[in-house]
Amino acid sequence: MATLLRGVLRPLYAFRGGPGPPAGVPFRAVSHGTGLLYPEHIPTSVLQKVLLAAGSAGMALYDPYRHDMVAVLGETTGRRTLKVLRDQMKRDPEGAQILQERPRISLSTLDMGKLRSLPEGSFGRAYLHFLDVNRVSPDTRAPTRFVDDEELAYVIQRYREIHDMLHALLGMPTNILGEIVVKWFEAVQTGLPMCVLSALFGPIRLSAQSLQLLISELIPWAVENGRRAPCVLNVYYERRWEQPLQALRQELGITEPPLRVEGLV
Amino acid sequence: MAAPRSWALWSFCGCGWSRAVSGCRLPGLRSSSPRGPLGARLLSQEKEATETHFGFETVSEEEKGGKVYQVFESVAKKYDVMNDMMSLGIHRVWKDLLLWKMRPFPGTQLLDVAGGTGLAWILGDAEELPFDDNKFDVYTIAFGIRNVTHIDQALQEAHRVLKPGGRFLCLEFSQVNNPLLSRLYDVYSFQVIPVLGEVIAGDWKSYQYLVESIRQFPSQEEFKEMIEDAGFQKVTYENLTSGIVAIHSGFKLYLR
Repeated sequence: MATLLRGVLRPLYAFRGGPGPPAGVPFRAVSHGTGLLYPEHIPTSVLQKVLLAAGSAGMALYDPYRHDMVAVLGETTGRRTLKVLRDQMKRDPEGAQILQERPRISLSTLDMGKLRSLPEGSFGRAYLHFLDVNRVSPDTRAPTRFVDDEELAYVIQRYREIHDMLHALLGMPTNILGEIVVKWFEAVQTGLPMCVLSALFGPIRLSAQSLQLLISELIPWAVENGRRAPCVLNVYYERRWEQPLQALRQELGITEPPLRVEGLV
Repeated sequence: MAAPRSWALWSFCGCGWSRAVSGCRLPGLRSSSPRGPLGARLLSQEKEATETHFGFETVSEEEKGGKVYQVFESVAKKYDVMNDMMSLGIHRVWKDLLLWKMRPFPGTQLLDVAGGTGLAWILGDAEELPFDDNKFDVYTIAFGIRNVTHIDQALQEAHRVLKPGGRFLCLEFSQVNNPLLSRLYDVYSFQVIPVLGEVIAGDWKSYQYLVESIRQFPSQEEFKEMIEDAGFQKVTYENLTSGIVAIHSGFKLYLR
């Protein structure tokens, strides 16, 4: 039992950059100061990740307003997939630049004035319009905490921060149906377990009518677009604000949605 | 008066933290006006920038009070739910045992420090109570003293405000005396509790602080000595749940 425990708790020692903690210092002391890979990092053992994954999945289902739980689920289950995504980004010239420069999307990094001055029909204006209409802000994304690799932590943070752009590109609102459609697209695009789980279990709370539309029209459309589009993490959105929305959609192979989702639900 | 503060909410009634207790009718102690000049007791002098622990972190004494305050502000909303989840409801049994040990009767002048909720409450500082000397029959503090920056001062204050013959009772997390249980308790504390905090309350760090602060608290014997140093007599302790918590008891027998 003791060796089993140690095995499950061991990965935590790796962060100290040595074979193990100094004698007498309990491993959990790593959570302060020197063991951190990035400012918000909370190092966790395998057991903690398993418990977090299970707990966050359950809580997200129980209380859909706990978006923080969806984020935690993504962080604790995504390691393998994030590596694949990161490697994909490295192989692509635009993606590699993103990995290098690590752009962040927040109210402090976006020039809202400049975005507003862009012509109608541009991607930047469409993104702004989406933020206004749905009353969301790019600052509501929680920082990554439970990913034990600093580059992968950026990759998942980037995925989170471009989520709103995918909404704009796909023409999906932020109601529950719109979110599920975007999740299906993201599931096909990224393969992140959290996206797959959300896509599969999110519809549980839908009405029969919405479910019917989802299955017959929206999911096939989202899957087809997800398959056709290149990796959306490789798009340097911040450099494409002036690009016409339609042109960007065409470049990514994204077609018009089969029906308007705004009025539904 | 630069002493770092440990703010605590108190209540005047034995029903402060245990809602299950009924029939505990005490004379209405109206919230007394804050104390004026302090009598013979000296106020703490200017403190040098000394360091202390905040869980496993090291912080200055100045900071600690504020950091503890933030923790409790953060956990307040889900406090009861989390206590039930973390201890599987057993915290209610511990508190009932404390009350049973105390055996309050009508007329008991009881002060419960760090009470959280109660009938009549006053905001103040456990290290500097706004009460006159020799006022109370019983002083209780349940799961509060661990968070005080200067425990010795809180104990001295407890001694001061108690009447001669008065009793000090403290319910607090302590050291587990069984090696196997200790390992299981450690795993539960450090692997499960912060996860529960994150999932239920969206707050990993406060619950990490909780389990770390428990490890930093003195052992049963050490705490007993601290209570004796504050002037209490006949100091004893009783372990509950193999020492996960302990009830320490002491009496003020003489007028200071």
